[in-house]
Amino acid sequence: MPPTAPPLDFRDFWRIAPAATLAFWGLVVVLADLGLARRLDAEARRRAVGRLALAGVGLALAAAVVLFWLDSLAAVDPERLREMLGTSLGDYFAREDAVIFLGSLAAGVSVDIFNVLYLALLALVILLATSYRFTEDWGECLALLIWATVGMMFLSAAEELVTLFLSLEMMTICLYLSTAFEKSRRRSVEAGLKYFIYGSVSSALFLYGLSLVYGLAGTTRFDAIERILAGASSTAPGLVGNLAGASALLLMLVGFGFKIAAAPFHQWAPDAYEGAPAPVAAWIVTGSKIASIIALMKVFLHAARPWSFPSDDIMGPGWMGVIAIVSAVTMTYGNLAALVQTNFKRLLAYSSIAHGGYILVGLAAATVSVNGSAAAGALLYYLVIYAFSNLGAFAVAAWLARDRSADEIEDLNGMGAERPLLALCLAFLMLSLIGVPPFGGFFGKLYIFMEALNQGPSRTRIILVWLVALGLLNSAISAFYYVRVLKAMYLRPRSGTGLKSAEPAVAAPILLSTAVVVIFGLFPQPLVDLMKSAAGPMLTASSFDAPVAAPPAVSTTTSNAALE
Amino acid sequence: MNNDIPLNWFLYFAAASFAIGLVGVMLRRNAIAVLMAIEIILNAANVNLVAFWRYGPPAPGSGPLPGVILAILVITVAAAEVAVGIGLILLCYRRWRVADVDRYDTMSG
Repeated sequence: MPPTAPPLDFRDFWRIAPAATLAFWGLVVVLADLGLARRLDAEARRRAVGRLALAGVGLALAAAVVLFWLDSLAAVDPERLREMLGTSLGDYFAREDAVIFLGSLAAGVSVDIFNVLYLALLALVILLATSYRFTEDWGECLALLIWATVGMMFLSAAEELVTLFLSLEMMTICLYLSTAFEKSRRRSVEAGLKYFIYGSVSSALFLYGLSLVYGLAGTTRFDAIERILAGASSTAPGLVGNLAGASALLLMLVGFGFKIAAAPFHQWAPDAYEGAPAPVAAWIVTGSKIASIIALMKVFLHAARPWSFPSDDIMGPGWMGVIAIVSAVTMTYGNLAALVQTNFKRLLAYSSIAHGGYILVGLAAATVSVNGSAAAGALLYYLVIYAFSNLGAFAVAAWLARDRSADEIEDLNGMGAERPLLALCLAFLMLSLIGVPPFGGFFGKLYIFMEALNQGPSRTRIILVWLVALGLLNSAISAFYYVRVLKAMYLRPRSGTGLKSAEPAVAAPILLSTAVVVIFGLFPQPLVDLMKSAAGPMLTASSFDAPVAAPPAVSTTTSNAALE
Repeated sequence: MNNDIPLNWFLYFAAASFAIGLVGVMLRRNAIAVLMAIEIILNAANVNLVAFWRYGPPAPGSGPLPGVILAILVITVAAAEVAVGIGLILLCYRRWRVADVDRYDTMSG
């Protein structure tokens, strides 16, 4: 009997409108670049294609904001939603269970927030990309950045392993290519190949783990995996009891470890960030890291939660001990290696590895916490601040690359006197990355460490206390290399050619990201509350067993019967 | 189904291919050989997926995606990856005139 799938609810397509718009706009950009912009000279072509790409991002951003508004309205006033959209769509948007496309993607406020975040960051990245000439093929380059974003949007919405794998590949394949786009430089091509080899090996490892999970659990959906693991763990507790299950989880952890550049799997990151054109590096550091961490959070805190620390032993036979070790090694190694760097982008790369370690402390805290969504919310807040701090810093790197064709730390010499405002912005961003109050980075670290310390008395708590202590020590170490940037800007005399005017394309990303870091540092509460409300739906079981809108005859039991 | 090859054999075969691929990735120097080793790992996962689909009973609430369809998706992704990989290797080869991954060492530290 041929397998039959339950029918699709076509209203689901409204939910992916931002991603669909963006994917379509990538094609528009490529075609316009090939056709209409061909006759323009290089400079005019860059501007025209850049504006076109920004228009599409604006369109997708508008769609994402409208969806965000509709979804938040659904929680408060569903009646008004029905009045505005009619009964069919109104009911659809007002319903509680927010899983679309047969349970493969999540929908709702938590997804919309991150779509808005990705699109806002993408707009800044594209603006930055059009600020200087690192390539001639603008259409392809911008379209690849746009399609990578589509992958990120699906990656952080995925509720099922195969969707997760496909969107992960969509994101990273586009990023491999755009890394190698600066064809005039050897190191860009080299970075592209290194990123590709490490990235595709990690995807392959992840996929092998996925296939084992599929075989053991018989399903790839997060909530179903969680149910099955929770049912099985009474007889075979955790990783020790089950060789295949343990290797599956560890392989997936290795795969994610590569993607977020955690310590034993970080080798690609410094090379890729140094070699890639600054705007692309900014997008790898911010967008792809946010999306991978959200996916990691969903897989491990949702699907694999029953195996986190099955017994109360300190380094019990669960994956939490592994995460704790990886986190400790990552932050220590990242910070120590950053101390000796002379290249600004490479310094930022090691700093971002170290920040990956702090983020994993948040993940460990969210695992243990009785109120996991609060700890996960702290983690998401940290991610937002981290993204904006790094985006601004990479914008400065793009500026250096444009005007001095180099991105060493000593190229920053004398910037404080030369460009006081933007130098002050960079100083704020560096202080935020150290974690100095009152900038956003301070509250990010504070909330993560508070959530880690704020657990009830259990024996796993001791791991978290040690992790927090190590994190504080590392923050102190990290101050040394961030201060070197400040020292170059303010204490050294100018060396090399002067910087040209930053122009809006460079100044806007720097100013806006500094504004975000400062404003959400002074008033962190609204963003923290928003992120905590977003974290809840990400970690709780969402089920496709009871679709409200689908006809009652269709259920998973019939589809399973059909499969046999 | 009683006379079939047992599921374990498929799993051992897949695990062996996985190990061969992983060793290949780590030991081979030629970029094309590394690419081939990555393909072997991906195909080991494919063998797993199809074998589990054939033998395993689907769990309740498993959703509509059976293993064979996953395998087809994986093949598609692998094809895209090879296309990108060959393109990048070609770019590197044009600059260095070698396909040896150890020689691409402009950046380090």
